[in-house]
Amino acid sequence: MTAVAATNETKKQTREPTPRRRTWEGFRRNPLGVGSVAVLVLMALVALCAPLIAPFPEGYGTDISLPPSAAHWFGTDDVGQDVFAQVIWGTRVSITVGAAASALAILIGLLLGVVAAYFRRLDTPLGVLIDLSLSLPVLPLMILVAALAGPSVTTLVMVIALFSWPEVARVVRSQALAIVPLPYVSAARMLGASAGRIIRSHLLPGVMPVVGVSVVLTVSRAVLAEAGLSFLGLGDPGSWSWGGILHKAQLSGSLASAWWTTLFPSLAILLLVVAATLVSVAYNDARNHRGER
Amino acid sequence: MTLKFVGTRLLRGLVTLWFAVTVTFFLVRLLPGDPVVTVADPNMTAELRAKLLADFGLDRPLLVQYGSYLAQLVQGNLGMSFRQSLPVTTVLMERLPWTLILTLSAMAVTVVVGIPLGVLAATRARGWVDRVIQVGGITAQSLFVPSIGVFLLYVFGVLLGWFPIGGALDPDATGVAASLSMLHHLVLPCLSLVFIQLGGYVLTMRSTLIETMGEDYVALARAKGVPPGAVVWKHAVRNALLPTTTIAGLQLGALVGGAVLTETIYAYPGIGRAIFEAVGQMDFPVLQGAFVLLAAAVVVANLVTDVAYGLLDPRVRTS
Repeated sequence: MTAVAATNETKKQTREPTPRRRTWEGFRRNPLGVGSVAVLVLMALVALCAPLIAPFPEGYGTDISLPPSAAHWFGTDDVGQDVFAQVIWGTRVSITVGAAASALAILIGLLLGVVAAYFRRLDTPLGVLIDLSLSLPVLPLMILVAALAGPSVTTLVMVIALFSWPEVARVVRSQALAIVPLPYVSAARMLGASAGRIIRSHLLPGVMPVVGVSVVLTVSRAVLAEAGLSFLGLGDPGSWSWGGILHKAQLSGSLASAWWTTLFPSLAILLLVVAATLVSVAYNDARNHRGER
Repeated sequence: MTLKFVGTRLLRGLVTLWFAVTVTFFLVRLLPGDPVVTVADPNMTAELRAKLLADFGLDRPLLVQYGSYLAQLVQGNLGMSFRQSLPVTTVLMERLPWTLILTLSAMAVTVVVGIPLGVLAATRARGWVDRVIQVGGITAQSLFVPSIGVFLLYVFGVLLGWFPIGGALDPDATGVAASLSMLHHLVLPCLSLVFIQLGGYVLTMRSTLIETMGEDYVALARAKGVPPGAVVWKHAVRNALLPTTTIAGLQLGALVGGAVLTETIYAYPGIGRAIFEAVGQMDFPVLQGAFVLLAAAVVVANLVTDVAYGLLDPRVRTS
């Protein structure tokens, strides 16, 4: 982890490659950032290749509540299913829901954030809407909606996206508000460019760097939200997710007797969220050219 | 001036609450999981079904229902629980004190531990202590609440047997013993919440204090020969504390969400556990009421921190 404290921005001003290239160069030199990207890629691969790694865990097995062994790396649960297989298949649902929900949230947040910043009249109502949504406790609201809509993967994606976009919109809006008064935007307007065109070719590229950071953070938040809802019993009953494994352990009482049923899904969640956080920290450092100590 | 400031904040709180109530009302009525279907059993006769719907007021036009919902809400009526034939307010008010005990104690412990840790990191900026605290803070922020809850429960409750693994009170205890038993049951759920809250406080305190330490008045205090400890604690920390209080407001949502999950793990009889039970029974009025109540709690807490911040720091009031 590189320290964020001192401002040594003057350091690398001599050579002038493109900003994007410079960010990449800075990022590449940060071992934690690169390692975290590798972890995320590996998890995505596991999600993609789940059927090749382990059979779908279902039905009843004969080895009940066994601790980790050579035959069952992560042990077995109270109905004899292999916890390793559950975690592998859980990766698939957790990452799918996390990625889909955050993609949707970012799309909505990006659009509303840019629109709020560009159209003065919409800024106040949208700003108030964003502030209000951000000041409410989200998890109880997600629970209510997910319970009403009936548990399924689609529900989870929609619910999480529905309540995650304000965070993105807030960041995008404040960045876009700084771009709107810049001379080149006024110039484009004066030349008769349409609002849609200005938003597309000036505002969107301008806010992309902050969206980059928020993608990673939104994914990790969405994964945590999915785990929370599934843990409370609002997950898709037909598939496995990390939170769902914990939910089953809670219901069966293995929570207090078989540590392996909760430890491994917990580690999976932790690994993903920490990796995502470190990627965003490393990206931020690299973008501010503080990549080197 | 001060009155106007408090008035604006109060108004904002009320608007937030109205927004919360309205959003949930329409979400509940417009979503596919129709309350009519939930209340009415498909096997029941048409008359019984009609009577049941009329009892719950579900046969009237949407706007009329909304109006009466608001009117009832102002009187503190959150409707009837579908499953327990008790008013939702009764069900939840019984649970509220436990949630307040849990969240407030977690917040207090977080502040007491988090502020000194942040100061420690800031005064040793870029040293190894700072690195450890920073990485620890980021990791703590990434924890999934049930994971840390289960971990503490397993290690300190099951393996070591130091603390009870569920409930909030020993039913047989009375007097002083009851208070002690309450504290004993509180330790693990409270610690789980402290873990997820701590990172935010420590990291904010650290960065604000580093900034404050660069201010002229800190340099002046140093130049005057004020002892280093006094410079940090009496001059810098006092000013760095103010922005750190805003983090309390920002983390309220996470704190409430964390409490729901923690109470579920430890079978702690608060609102969160009530939510978990209501999910299992598909008891929508309880879910809706719980959200409204928690939103109200967050609004009040935000109001208190906002006003306190404004009273402590005149710059906030005038801006």
